[in-house]
Amino acid sequence: MTPLATEYVGERGVLFRLALKASVLTVLTLGIYRFWMKTRLRRYYWSAIRPGGAPLEYTGQPLEKLLGFLVAVVVMAFYIGVVNLILMFFSFALFQGNVTAYALSFIGVLPIIFFAQYRARRYILARTRWRGIRFGLEPGAWGYAWRAMFYWALAIATLGLLYPLKAFRLEKYLIDRTHFGSMTFQQGGRWTMLYGPLKHAFYAIAVLAVSIGAAVLSDNETWLALAVLAAPWAGFAGAYWRAHSWRLLTDHKELGEVRFRSTPRAGRVLGIWLLGGFLIYLSVLAIIFALLIGVVALLAASASVEMIEFLNNLEENFDTIPAWIFTLAGIGIYFSFFLLGSALSHTFITLPMAAHFASQTQILNPEALAGIDQRARDEFAEAEGFADALDVGAAL
Amino acid sequence: MSEIILPEPPPPPPDPPGPPGPPDSDRLFAWFVDGIDARWQRVEVELSAPTGGGRPDRLRLTLPDGSRLDWPLSDLRALRDQAGAKQSIVLRQDGRDPARLMLCGAEIVAHVRSVAPALDRRPPVENLGRLLKWSVAAVASVALIIFGLVPVLAAQLAMLLPPEGEKALGDATLRQIRVALNEAGATPLPACSSREGDAALLAMRGRLNAEGELPYPLQLHVLDHEMINAFALPGGHVVLFRGLIDAAQSPDEVAAVLAHEIGHVAHRDPTRGALRTAGSIGVLGLLLGDFAGGTVVLMMAQSLINASYSQAAEVKADDFAYGVLTRAEVNPAALGHFFERLREEYGDAEGIVAHFASHPTHEERIRAALEAEAAAGISATPVIPDSDWLALRRICGGTRSGVLEDVGREVGETPGGTAEAPRKGGKGRAGEAPADTGVAPTGNLDQSGSKKD
Repeated sequence: MTPLATEYVGERGVLFRLALKASVLTVLTLGIYRFWMKTRLRRYYWSAIRPGGAPLEYTGQPLEKLLGFLVAVVVMAFYIGVVNLILMFFSFALFQGNVTAYALSFIGVLPIIFFAQYRARRYILARTRWRGIRFGLEPGAWGYAWRAMFYWALAIATLGLLYPLKAFRLEKYLIDRTHFGSMTFQQGGRWTMLYGPLKHAFYAIAVLAVSIGAAVLSDNETWLALAVLAAPWAGFAGAYWRAHSWRLLTDHKELGEVRFRSTPRAGRVLGIWLLGGFLIYLSVLAIIFALLIGVVALLAASASVEMIEFLNNLEENFDTIPAWIFTLAGIGIYFSFFLLGSALSHTFITLPMAAHFASQTQILNPEALAGIDQRARDEFAEAEGFADALDVGAAL
Repeated sequence: MSEIILPEPPPPPPDPPGPPGPPDSDRLFAWFVDGIDARWQRVEVELSAPTGGGRPDRLRLTLPDGSRLDWPLSDLRALRDQAGAKQSIVLRQDGRDPARLMLCGAEIVAHVRSVAPALDRRPPVENLGRLLKWSVAAVASVALIIFGLVPVLAAQLAMLLPPEGEKALGDATLRQIRVALNEAGATPLPACSSREGDAALLAMRGRLNAEGELPYPLQLHVLDHEMINAFALPGGHVVLFRGLIDAAQSPDEVAAVLAHEIGHVAHRDPTRGALRTAGSIGVLGLLLGDFAGGTVVLMMAQSLINASYSQAAEVKADDFAYGVLTRAEVNPAALGHFFERLREEYGDAEGIVAHFASHPTHEERIRAALEAEAAAGISATPVIPDSDWLALRRICGGTRSGVLEDVGREVGETPGGTAEAPRKGGKGRAGEAPADTGVAPTGNLDQSGSKKD
């Protein structure tokens, strides 16, 4: 049988309206609507991805997210409040500074963050279906948390040399526990294969090292000009890692007899980042410009002797403008940037990225899918509450 | 597949044939999953009427193996927020979860929408009781921690914190405040100092003679800012703003404010406040979760909490000030007079705004001040001679006349308690902040950050 290609049917305009509306509601409800926002955005993103024409379905519910969040608050409030206070106390009592408190507070909360990320993934997979069949992730959050701590520590201690080990082992831990219906995924391959996708990061670092080294050794500062190359190279290295580590890891994933192939391109990833960033910048500029024109038009329309007089004496009249107008305007501008930023980054970065990765991914041996049966529902009442409370759930 | 359209049911219905369907009659196929295995099956779909005739009221699906399923039209539900919703529709049956039917083609989608009456009906909300229970539990545990556990713990720990630790905390905070208040740039706001002015301050401190019980030496700063405010920080820092000295009509008024701030230092209020903030801000951050604009809400909530903490502390600091002033034979009513005049000029914090002000409303303090004056029954003299007073007024340089009107409008700008500024640090972390003890109408949120000079 021929491989199943993946269609992508997401549209920027529709997503932009959905994201903007949902973020306005989120602000108006002081954040409560975010559970609905997340649910609705996920439904959209999931349903846009259609391997073999069959859309993914996200079946999570907003209220279960709210409930999970409340549970997490009850559990975490004590820990965060008391532990932070005591850390602050000891930090000042013993070290005369707050840096220690921040560092310890961060390290103390790290395992919980990894724990929360695993639980969030378990929730999301349990609420994802394709062809009517549920995905699932086995329980194992603490196992993930300590492994993540260990491999991250290794990667940091070796200045990134063991970063591929961290990336591979954590991915394998997740994938080997991921199910699609009655079948279990397997992450094949070796961790050393991920040095390939990381090569441009090493090149960028090498360029930087050479330029600084040469400048110091030869006492000639013109060598430092070479370092200018390192920054764009590092940007490309990020895109290259993203595309090629995904390629290798996907090509080595197994689901029974089913295999996968994915060919995202680093150039496209970088292009989406750059173009997306630029378009967001342009849109924000355009909106500010439109606002200014609107204000001017409003003034022109209401042009009257008093208004002109008022403007002529703006310097003195400035103080007569009630303070709350400035406050209100400030709050309005602050939030509209948040809202726009989030809606625009969904539109110009998240969606094109999803489109590229999805459309470059194929399912090989799809006939083996026929043998897959449904798995039981994973109730998982806490949903992704911990990840949400700790602000590590990211937007999606 | 998309050009194939819904047929009329095989036996021509006796009644008018439902909503108008597409004219051409052909066979329609759709994609079906049963939710039992992963087969993606092509099924034939037709609108079907109940046996015995009538309007078509169900979709009849014929599976590849010849078996048939009837899905009543009134039970059909469409998945929500789907991409490509004009070109395709995914249906499920109400109350029966796993099976799905996907129809493609804009005309077919429109036709399904016209024949199925309840496609977008939402399922009833479940678990409402449970949700309510956990909401109460979450609010209760946060309230218990912020208003019960954290203040008690902070009060205990503040007494245990060694003076060097407090000094470090205060130094760091003062630096942050000075940077935050400097509108001109990222450098700290300049501190005022002149030979005569410093001497005048020293004379005032000497006369008050209130520093005996302090665990560390008092460090007095005058900052060149027009805000009518003063505050104490951990480790014995007391900060007076130039605006406060300008607004005062006599040295006694400045001395009264200074005595009040020394009271805070003696009671270790700033340290307690900083520790309390460290505990409560993380918990609040937890509540807001990953809500994008949360920082602003976080800061507003924090200032509300501070307000509720510090009312009692303000009253205690006032009591301390009256004691010090009386012993030093300085008119203890100066504090009250100063407030009274400020109130006449700028009004009092009332209503909702008062909740954000961390200080007892002026009226209460004025009354307390007048009572203290009556109780004292002393013959007071000015705290420092006029020549020193003049020098103090010029400590920031310039030749300000010191008429209250000069600084008139500026009082309204006092941003929600000076102490707000350095609290911007991220949530989920321990933050430190001074226990602001300003005497001006601080924290009037409606006026905060209104304009810059």
